[in-house]
Amino acid sequence: MHRKILVAGLGATALFLAACGGGSSTSTASSAAPAASSAAAAASPAAPAAPTDDSNCADPTVICVGLVTDTGKVDDKSFNQSAWEGAQAGAAAINGFSKYIETTDPKDYAANIQQFVDKGYDTVVTVGFLMGEATAAAAKANPNVNFIGVDQFNAVDAATQPNLTGLVFPEDQAGYAAGYLAGLTTKTGKIGAVLGTDTVPPVKRFGEGYQAGAKAANPNVEVTLVYHAPDNAFNDPEWGAAEAQKQLAQGADIIFGAGGNTGNGALIEIAKAKGAGDTVFCIGVDTDQYNTVPQAQKCLLTSAMKLLAEGTSDLVGMAANGSFPAGNYVGKAALADYHDTASKVPADVQQKVKDIIAGLTDGSVTTGVQ
Amino acid sequence: MSRRWALALTIVIGIAIAVAFVMDQTKTVSVLNFSLRYAVPLILAAMVGIICERTGVINIGIEGQMLMSAFAGFFGAALSGSMLLGVLFGVGTGMLMGAFLATGAVTWKMDQIIAGTVINIVAVGLTSFFYAQGKVLPDIFPTFAVPGLSSVPLVGPVLFDNNFFTYGALIIVVLLQVLLFRTRWGLRTRAVGEKPSAADTSGIAVQRMRFMNVTIAGALAGLAGAYLSLEAAGTFERGFTAGRGFTALAIMIFGAWNPIGALGAAFFFGLAEGVASQLQADEVVAIPQQFINMLPYVLTIVLLAIVSGRVKPPAAVGRPYEKD
Repeated sequence: MHRKILVAGLGATALFLAACGGGSSTSTASSAAPAASSAAAAASPAAPAAPTDDSNCADPTVICVGLVTDTGKVDDKSFNQSAWEGAQAGAAAINGFSKYIETTDPKDYAANIQQFVDKGYDTVVTVGFLMGEATAAAAKANPNVNFIGVDQFNAVDAATQPNLTGLVFPEDQAGYAAGYLAGLTTKTGKIGAVLGTDTVPPVKRFGEGYQAGAKAANPNVEVTLVYHAPDNAFNDPEWGAAEAQKQLAQGADIIFGAGGNTGNGALIEIAKAKGAGDTVFCIGVDTDQYNTVPQAQKCLLTSAMKLLAEGTSDLVGMAANGSFPAGNYVGKAALADYHDTASKVPADVQQKVKDIIAGLTDGSVTTGVQ
Repeated sequence: MSRRWALALTIVIGIAIAVAFVMDQTKTVSVLNFSLRYAVPLILAAMVGIICERTGVINIGIEGQMLMSAFAGFFGAALSGSMLLGVLFGVGTGMLMGAFLATGAVTWKMDQIIAGTVINIVAVGLTSFFYAQGKVLPDIFPTFAVPGLSSVPLVGPVLFDNNFFTYGALIIVVLLQVLLFRTRWGLRTRAVGEKPSAADTSGIAVQRMRFMNVTIAGALAGLAGAYLSLEAAGTFERGFTAGRGFTALAIMIFGAWNPIGALGAAFFFGLAEGVASQLQADEVVAIPQQFINMLPYVLTIVLLAIVSGRVKPPAAVGRPYEKD
């Protein structure tokens, strides 16, 4: 009898937590960004001065670019910040105006997008996988506005929805470059990876690209890939840390952490290990994690990056000059700076990795990952 | 769990570990290290459940108590620059949350499930709102190898080369087992949880006993939270306790409301996680990853099926005490 009450309570609480997970605050913050850089305006004196506010956005000759962040701030040193930098640069290049809205609650995605639509913005950038649904709905409702979904795979084809582009990234290439570097750098001949769930395709591409890259650098290297269970895969730093410790104990000396906070837990754990930054290294993911996870700086060799800023900036430009590539647009992958561990990577290895990245970008090197 | 089942399971697992150790020492030790490390917060949280329920109060808010304490511990340490202060902040917050539950569930005689749920909701809200990015812990805790014992094969590197949280958790389990079944406090606690009216008649202050025990249990939840953010993960993230407080309640039931039993159950959970990840890493068998990831959950269901009906909770659990 009492156990029934307990179980019912457990269920109810779990449901509630699931329902309100992530939803935290109530208000929607918005703030005006500095107008497009005046340097761009000065560079092209023939063009009219860049607008300084969004009052004339409805005017077809005035280009306005709006960015809606995923829950998080525009200075998060991660996805939102990179996308915002790209949107600003893109708008500046076409002498347009740019502004952002910070989302504080996932319930406000649609409302925040609508604010830009109502003011007559030409291009709306939304950041993050989670906003995909709201972005697609807004694109359908507003055929005259171009939508750029950063890190959102767009399932609708270009003919049906010519005003929506998903900016996606070749995660396998980023993973491949990181794996290649790891394969050349490892002293023990064993490297590892602590990953989010393989049910999320980008994570799997990171992992398999990493493995393929390591094998390409050194066919004898042993690669261990471990994925978290799908449940709570990206917010379990304790598991990530424990798994990283296990792989270290089994002889891996370079570990790739790719899976949100789960991967970050692995990075932080490796930074605590004996020989961190000397004989034992970690590799981050998505953006330069030297900035996003300061605790991991000691061991961080590099990060397998998606070039969000560049991709966003390119798309903003294309939207303005009429060559908007609806459907999906594949951005570029790269490795972050070596920062503190630069002296641990010999010059010839650095050169080889540079060559591989160039090869991946121009297509002469393929990862073999589906 | 009935003693026969527990014994059989322990022997089977023991033999499996011994065989694995003979085959590959490094792997076996590292998997066991993973298991213990994963089990520590579950062990501590299960002790919270045991103290509370033995005294007649359901604590469904362990998850929230841990989350709040992990938050207070992490930011306390990051802002004050002292890891030790961080632990104190964590434990103190846990006690406060324990007192909060006691006030609701004991003093105000609220529905105990609701009182616990309130804690979970408040914890998610507060910690998410005040969360700040980019904070870094000032230091790391040292590990301590017990001289002599740590060089014993298998047992040494697993049990006797650890951080202080792990030693603390193991000592607390043994201590609680003795306290619950061998002392006056334990007898009174159990009496209050089984038949509060009888306890009251014999002169035990039921309400005071419950209030005190739930508050003390909160301190253990605080220790579990501090362990998570300060030692195990080295960071705090929103909602990163990830249901461990609820898992602990299941462990408490596996362990038949016994500290030693819960210790075994928690280690078993950790072992399932460790073995699952090792099977993935080794790619020994061509089983899809999804099935391997399922292992801990399947084991949970199987164990629950075996255990259910065989163990009995304290008779008065869940009911506020009213004098006739």
